[in-house]
Amino acid sequence: MKLARFVKFREEKFGGVLFETRSEKVFTLTSTGAAVVKEIAAGGSAEQVVARLKARYQDPSGKLETEAREFIDSLRSQGLLSED
Amino acid sequence: MSASLGAPLYVGWQLTNECNLACLHCIEESGPGKALAGELSREEALDVLRRLDEAQVPFLSFSGGEPLLHPGFWDIVASACGRGMHVKVETNGHLLKAEDCARLGSLGVKAVQLSLDGASAGTYERLRMRGRFETVLEAARLLRAAGVPLELNFSPTRFNVHEAGLAIDKAVELGAIGFYTGRTIMAGNAARSRALLEPTEEQYASFFAQVRAKAAEYQGRLRVCCHEMGFLEELKVRVENPAALFILLPDGKVKLINALPFLCGDLRRQGVAEVWKSFLEGWRSPEVRGFIAELERDPSLVGRLHERVECSLS
Ligand code: SF4
Repeated sequence: MKLARFVKFREEKFGGVLFETRSEKVFTLTSTGAAVVKEIAAGGSAEQVVARLKARYQDPSGKLETEAREFIDSLRSQGLLSED
Repeated sequence: MSASLGAPLYVGWQLTNECNLACLHCIEESGPGKALAGELSREEALDVLRRLDEAQVPFLSFSGGEPLLHPGFWDIVASACGRGMHVKVETNGHLLKAEDCARLGSLGVKAVQLSLDGASAGTYERLRMRGRFETVLEAARLLRAAGVPLELNFSPTRFNVHEAGLAIDKAVELGAIGFYTGRTIMAGNAARSRALLEPTEEQYASFFAQVRAKAAEYQGRLRVCCHEMGFLEELKVRVENPAALFILLPDGKVKLINALPFLCGDLRRQGVAEVWKSFLEGWRSPEVRGFIAELERDPSLVGRLHERVECSLS
């Protein structure tokens, strides 16, 4: 899994932005969203991305894992990820 | 949203004001022999590009004039693509040979946008003086053969609006992924040919209806981007919510937006962050807001939009 071919990510003070350069649409990200996208950009499956996030940040309640999975699904449904 | 960003997301870079065509509606008043004094050289442009990349600007579109006429065009595009920036080239298509299209494909440009204002030689060539309709169609075919994503741009005028639907059919036939249109701004050359060019409101209504119908017909096959808002309405939206977009002029100066005369910096002399700060201040300045309000009272000011006025910033 990685960012789709036409998607660029930039970190910002508030989190980050994803720019889909084909449709010229901009998506703003919270700091949690930006952390997920950085892990996606680093490569690996959704499971690996979630595992790395859990290893990096404390997640005793499992909230981070739930949010990260939902966020990955929403990126996928908006065509912002590719599976190869 | 722009105010919270550290840099623009998109730079519309006019590499040169020189052009091989001399279109009746050209807002930049480009044409043969119309390069500006002090345009950025290849080396200067590569330096600006490096700084835009350091500021993590993700997306550049190169236009003009005719961007292929800039002596550094190929090095600049190669450098931008090599840096991983997403690049679009906006061209009239007349200088594109098969080998150029192959080169754009191998460099990985994200799209080439050709101007195709009509579905027949008669309408296209009436607007695009020195242009040849068949040459643009051939450029489109060469780009597709080279695997380059193709977009088309259509400027509506009094004498081509009736062909909008056919032009969109042509875009699909040519394998375009995008079709861009909106009201033609009557500035620059267009201000002088206004009586000949400007569609009536009835013509615009029928034009937008054709575009909407075709957008629905080709949904999922062709992305149709149509700005129905007049530029004044758009400016009123923009002044409250500026797009994260620099218009970079051939000499390195930066404009707030193409449809306003205001400059907010000079990338030949200043850093990207400094110009970005001035850009955000410029949009908030009373001078810019006052000009937009004045435009509403006096539509003849539209003829001044392509002029250059330094924003007086705090
Ligand atoms: S091709 Fe574009 S830049 Fe050249 S004269 Fe026509 S509108 Fe202006």
